[in-house]
Amino acid sequence: MSDTPRSADPFPLMRELSGELGWALAVVRAAVLQAALPQIAAALGDQSTFVTHPWRRLHNTMASVRRQLDEDPEVREREAARLNRLHARITGVGPDGAPYSGLDPEARAWVIASLFESTVAMRRNSGRRLDWAAQEQLYAEFQRMLSDLGDEPTILPAELAQFWPYYERMLSERLEHTDAVDAVLYRLLDTVPAPPLLRDQRTAWAAVRSIAGPVAARVTVASLPPTFRERVRLENPVLSDALMVGAYRGSGLAAIALPVLSNPRTLANFVDAEDDQPGSAVFGALLRGASAFTSAVRAARPQTASAPGRDPAPWPAQQFFTHVLDQTGDGTVSWPDLAALAREVAARLDLDADREADVYAAFHAWWRELAAALDTDGDGVIASQEYAAGSSNLPAPALVHLAEVLFDVTDTDHSGTISAQEYRKLLHTGFSHELATAPDKNLGKAAFTTEFLHFMAGRRPSAAWSRLTTEA
Amino acid sequence: MDGNRRWAERKGLPDNAGHRAGRAAALDVIDAARSVGVRWLTLFAFSSENWQRPGDEVEFLMRLVQHVVRRHALALHAKDIRCRFLGAADPRIPTALRRDIADLENLTRDNRGMTLTAAFGHGGRGDLVEAARSLIRSGVPADAVTEELFAAHLPLPDTPDVDLVIRTSGEHRISNFMLWQVAYAEWVFPPELWPDFGAGPFLQSLDAYSRRRRRFGARPQTTANVPTGANLV
Repeated sequence: MSDTPRSADPFPLMRELSGELGWALAVVRAAVLQAALPQIAAALGDQSTFVTHPWRRLHNTMASVRRQLDEDPEVREREAARLNRLHARITGVGPDGAPYSGLDPEARAWVIASLFESTVAMRRNSGRRLDWAAQEQLYAEFQRMLSDLGDEPTILPAELAQFWPYYERMLSERLEHTDAVDAVLYRLLDTVPAPPLLRDQRTAWAAVRSIAGPVAARVTVASLPPTFRERVRLENPVLSDALMVGAYRGSGLAAIALPVLSNPRTLANFVDAEDDQPGSAVFGALLRGASAFTSAVRAARPQTASAPGRDPAPWPAQQFFTHVLDQTGDGTVSWPDLAALAREVAARLDLDADREADVYAAFHAWWRELAAALDTDGDGVIASQEYAAGSSNLPAPALVHLAEVLFDVTDTDHSGTISAQEYRKLLHTGFSHELATAPDKNLGKAAFTTEFLHFMAGRRPSAAWSRLTTEA
Repeated sequence: MDGNRRWAERKGLPDNAGHRAGRAAALDVIDAARSVGVRWLTLFAFSSENWQRPGDEVEFLMRLVQHVVRRHALALHAKDIRCRFLGAADPRIPTALRRDIADLENLTRDNRGMTLTAAFGHGGRGDLVEAARSLIRSGVPADAVTEELFAAHLPLPDTPDVDLVIRTSGEHRISNFMLWQVAYAEWVFPPELWPDFGAGPFLQSLDAYSRRRRRFGARPQTTANVPTGANLV
């Protein structure tokens, strides 16, 4: 807790647990619980790209947690400061008229609490229950995480014994069945987003995603606390409990899926009883997941196969609008959409406050330029028709400036060129660090800005920039 | 896949036990065909006439097929087998099964090791009528209709002519099976009931076929080359 010396590693248990495969399931489960808190739901609905880019968001969350747990205190402090800046930018008024803020202490405490409880549940469901002492240690580590963010740690009960009543109270009194809950369960989990190119690496992550759709939604619902399920009336489909325990026991879905691909016998032995219905349900879910996965891989393949040297056709305006500009998926483009891109860049490059401010300012200047040119009816947002009508003849000074700012912040060693490593840091895909088009030599400013401008203004396909803006 | 019920009757078992044994035989034959390099294998699993069987038997068969599809989808995929169903658009097939079938077809669509077609709710005449309808709808003038064009309007038009039909259980009828495609097929009639027909008798049938000299009517003489064509079991 707070009396732990600062030099010692404050998060040994958390780091160990968050390294387990099943932790991805715990994070998704926690996301559902977080989305059920009204003020978080309001912020998610307005500001967040959670629904449109769930995997990118999930990746960012996990990367952020990793940085918050880093052994180097400097890394932790920088991440805490970055999160605070990010949260401070999230303000608005919810659908019920109540204002929300990313710095709302109740909400931030709930994020920590739900993550803690989901981690405990992960171990319980996998049959490797944490004993009371371990739970106490883990709870202390999570409390430390909250105090690292600068929040008053007293908002969470001091002792684990009081935590559980607090948690039950939150479940039964504060949580609601918000739109954001459905968004997580049915957008994040029920549709498998096109995975990044997985040809070369069948990593555990790839496999988790490959069957995430059909299985994970049921696994997640089944793993939620019953109090919560009853309160928000989420039905637990028959047999999902068995499936859920199976998923957690198998150290996550990957453990089930990977041997299947290489050795079908393993699967056949996995649930082997004549005409057993549970087995059939598992296989049905696997079949659907595998089928969706191959469709997604097929859809992703042509991008890599595009012949080099040819000038590919630009994206249709409508498609570019939907997939690149409208980051929040509400059908219009306004400042939160471009702010989401700024946030993405800042998070990927782990920028300090000044440089982050530069990036936001440059994106904001571009937003004003776009709005001045395209928002013909002056309602403060750009509709898809407005973009389609004016997009072929856009002014560009602010966009050119944005490209230059992006170059400067990406060029972390100020060498005047962008190395493959720097490029990858900015433009990798969600969980994958592979790049189909990693430059084989350092990229000069002209080449970098040209590619960016071709993409943003000319809508010329760019595998790398699509990665940042659309994929995952 | 004849003889499941007779097999069960002879053993004093319920019909369903015969169907289950038939499933095992089918999986055995699929493996054997794949391992000797057969490129096209068609199993006549369920004919359009089979819909007239008692309701609970039909229901059991549907469940059995769904079980096979779900249970073995990934194994079939791992063996590079492209799976598809001839006749599966029938609305009498339960929705969940149709969805599983669509998923299986989608999953294995790009596989090239072997094409496994399950004739399921299939009837040869029905396919011919379907082709005729499709031709008429496409507005082709009557004089332009050729054999090739007609064949292109059949369901699963990339299916080549059948080389060998294996009719088990000592039956000697065509039973409305792929009437167009069997025009030049060789036939063998092994006596085994389908549940007893596994890899061994299947390979014997292939061997018998490979000794025959095929003439295709007036076409140039060729010697049959075992594992190339569509095989009916």
